[in-house]
Amino acid sequence: MAVSETYTDPTAAQNGSGDPVIVATGVEKWYGTFHVLKGVDLTVNKGEVVVVMGPSGSGKSTFIRTFNALETYQKGSIVIDGVKISHDLKDIESIRREVGMVFQQFNLFPHLTVLKNVTLAPIWVRHWNKAKAEEEAMRLLERVGILEQAKKFPGQLSGGQQQRVAIARALAMKPKVMLFDEPTSALDPEMVREVLDVMRGLADEGMTMVVVTHEVGFAREVADRVVLMDGGVLVEDAKPEAFFNNPQEERSKKFLSQIL
Amino acid sequence: MTTTTPDKVASAPPKSSGPGPAEWLKENLFSSWFNTLLTIVVVAVLAIAFWSLLSWAFTSAQWQVIPNNLGLFMTGLYPRDMHWRIWTLFGVVLALAGVSWGTLTRNAASLMTRPMLIGLGIAIAALIIIPALPRPEDAPAFLITPFAAAILIGLIAVAVAAAYIARSVTQKSPGIAQWLPLAWFLSYIVALWLIGGGLGIEEVRSNDWGGLVLTLLLAVTGIALCFPIGVILALGRRSDLPIVRGLSVAYIELVRGTPLIAILFMGQVMIPLFLPEGLRPDRIIRAVIALTLFSSAYLAENVRAGLQSVPRGQTEAAVSLGLNKPLTVAFIVLPQALKIAIPAIVGQFISLFQDTTLLATLGLIELLGISQSVLANPSYLGRYAEVYLFIGVIYWFFCYAMSLGSRRIEEQFNTGH
Repeated sequence: MAVSETYTDPTAAQNGSGDPVIVATGVEKWYGTFHVLKGVDLTVNKGEVVVVMGPSGSGKSTFIRTFNALETYQKGSIVIDGVKISHDLKDIESIRREVGMVFQQFNLFPHLTVLKNVTLAPIWVRHWNKAKAEEEAMRLLERVGILEQAKKFPGQLSGGQQQRVAIARALAMKPKVMLFDEPTSALDPEMVREVLDVMRGLADEGMTMVVVTHEVGFAREVADRVVLMDGGVLVEDAKPEAFFNNPQEERSKKFLSQIL
Repeated sequence: MTTTTPDKVASAPPKSSGPGPAEWLKENLFSSWFNTLLTIVVVAVLAIAFWSLLSWAFTSAQWQVIPNNLGLFMTGLYPRDMHWRIWTLFGVVLALAGVSWGTLTRNAASLMTRPMLIGLGIAIAALIIIPALPRPEDAPAFLITPFAAAILIGLIAVAVAAAYIARSVTQKSPGIAQWLPLAWFLSYIVALWLIGGGLGIEEVRSNDWGGLVLTLLLAVTGIALCFPIGVILALGRRSDLPIVRGLSVAYIELVRGTPLIAILFMGQVMIPLFLPEGLRPDRIIRAVIALTLFSSAYLAENVRAGLQSVPRGQTEAAVSLGLNKPLTVAFIVLPQALKIAIPAIVGQFISLFQDTTLLATLGLIELLGISQSVLANPSYLGRYAEVYLFIGVIYWFFCYAMSLGSRRIEEQFNTGH
C-alpha cells in the first residue's frame, strides 16, 4: 500500500535524538504474590522505535501496558511526556490521549462502522466537530489503505484490514507515542506484511513507537533499539545489529537461538 | 466474512434437489418401526385433541358471551360515548407501529415475510366475512359488528400504508429513523391524554379504565419504566463504588427473593405510607410502581449478563483512546451488552405483560379482571372455556408480536460479528 507522507522529522527518525517521551525507572509490579516486573528501566526518546522481545510470560506486554495505565504498578515511576502516571484519574486520561495503543486482538468496536471507530475519540475526547474528525479519519484510512471500507463494519473485514483500522483509530488522536502489543500475532501469515508495512511507514515519518513483537525482520530493519525482557527484568538493550549479531547476555543468546 | 474484492463470477451453489415429499416422510417420520409407532400415536392424539376442540367450538360452545361483552373486554367500564377516543388512540398506535415496522425493515428484502402476508390476509378476510355471515334478524352481531370491522380494516390499511411510506422514506434518508423513539414517547403522552381526558376533553376517572386498554397501558408503562431502572441497577452492580454496588445487589436480590404477588400487595398497602398525608396515589399508579420495581430487578440481571459478555478488550481499547468511564459505558459497552441481551430483555417484557393478570387479584379490571366480572354475570354463568380461550388468544397475540419484533430488532443490529 502507498504510504506517501513526508517525513516530519528525519533526524529524529534516524537517531532517536530529542527529549525522552517515556522514562520508566525501577518499575515493579505484582499480580498477587507473583512478581511480574522486577525493576525495569527504559527510556524512549522522541522519534525512536524500540522493539521489545522476549519469551512469553516475560512481562513485556504487562510492561508496555503500564505506559497508558492499563496496568498499575506498585513501585518505581513512569513519566510520559513529562507527566508521571499516578492513580489520579484526571492525569490518567490526559496521558491516555497522548499514547496510542494497538492490541493483538485489534479490539475494534464491532457495533460501529470503520469510520465511526476512527472518529469516536476525536469527537468526544478532543471535541473536534464531526466534519473535521471525518476528514482526518478519511485521510488516515487512505494512508493505511482501507479508504473504500470506511462504511463497513469491522466484522466484514479481514484480520489485516482490522488491524490497519485499529492503527488508524489510534493515530486519529494524534498521539505522541504509539504502543503496539504483538500487533501481528493474531494474524494469518499472509496478512502480517500489510500491517508491518503500515508500521514501517509510521516509523519512517518519525513516530515514537514501542513495539512488542516476534517479527525479527521488522526489528532488524525498523528498530532503533531492541530490548530483551525475561522473567520480569530487562536483560539487554542494544542496537538491532548488535543485538542480533553479537548479543552480550547469555539469556539473549539462548532466546535468539530459539527464534532464529 | 466478505473479502475486499468480491468475486464477480461467483459460481452458483449446486442446486440441491431436496428429497421429495414421500422421501421426506419416510426419512423424518417413518425411519424405523419405533419412529413409525411414535408418529402414529402422536398423530392420533393430536387428531383427537384437535377434533374435540373443533367440535366443541362449533357445537357446544356458546360464543355469544364474547360479542355481547366485546366492549367490556376491550375497555372495561370506559364510558360508551367516549369510545371514539380509544379508537383514535388505536389508530395512532397502529400507524406508528406501521412506521416502525417499515423503518426496521428498510434494509430487508421485503416489507413483510410470506407468513405475515398470509396472516394479514386471513385477518382482513375474517373481518369481511364474519360480520357478513347470515344470522337471525334480531340476533346480536356475531363476534364483531360491521361498523367495528370496517374501522379495523381501515386502520390496518392506514398501518400498512404508513409502513410502506416509512420504508421508502427511511431508505432515502435513514437519519429520520432516530426520531422514532421520540415519536413513541409522544404517542404515550397522547395516549394518557386520550384515555384520561383533561385539557379540553372530558375527564374519565381511572376507576373506569379497564379491559385490554388497561392491560396494555399497565404493560407499556411498566416496560418503559423498568428498562432504564434495570440498566442503572445492572451498571450499579458492576460499579467500583462499594456503596452503589452494595445497594444494587441488595435491591436485586431482595426483589428476586420475593414473589410478585407479595410485592403487588405490599405496593398497594405500603406505598402510601412512604408518602405525605393526603397524597394517596391512584391504585393503578401503585400497581405500576410495584410491577416496575419487580421487573427491573430481573431486567438488571439480564443486562448484567450482557455487560459481562462484552470482552474486556473493548473497554481497554476505549480507555486507551482517552475516553472516560461514562463515555466508554455509553458508547462502547452498553450498546453491545444490550444487543446481546435483547432476547432475554424481551423475554422479561413478555413476562411483565403476562404478570399484569395478577393485578386482577387486587381488584383492577384489566383484561383478566373484567373477564371475571363478565363470568360473574348470571347470563354468562359457566362460559369459562369460551372467555378464557378468547383472552388467552389475545395475550398470545401480543406476546408473539413482541418476540417477532425482537427478532427483527436483532437483525437490524446485526453487524456481522
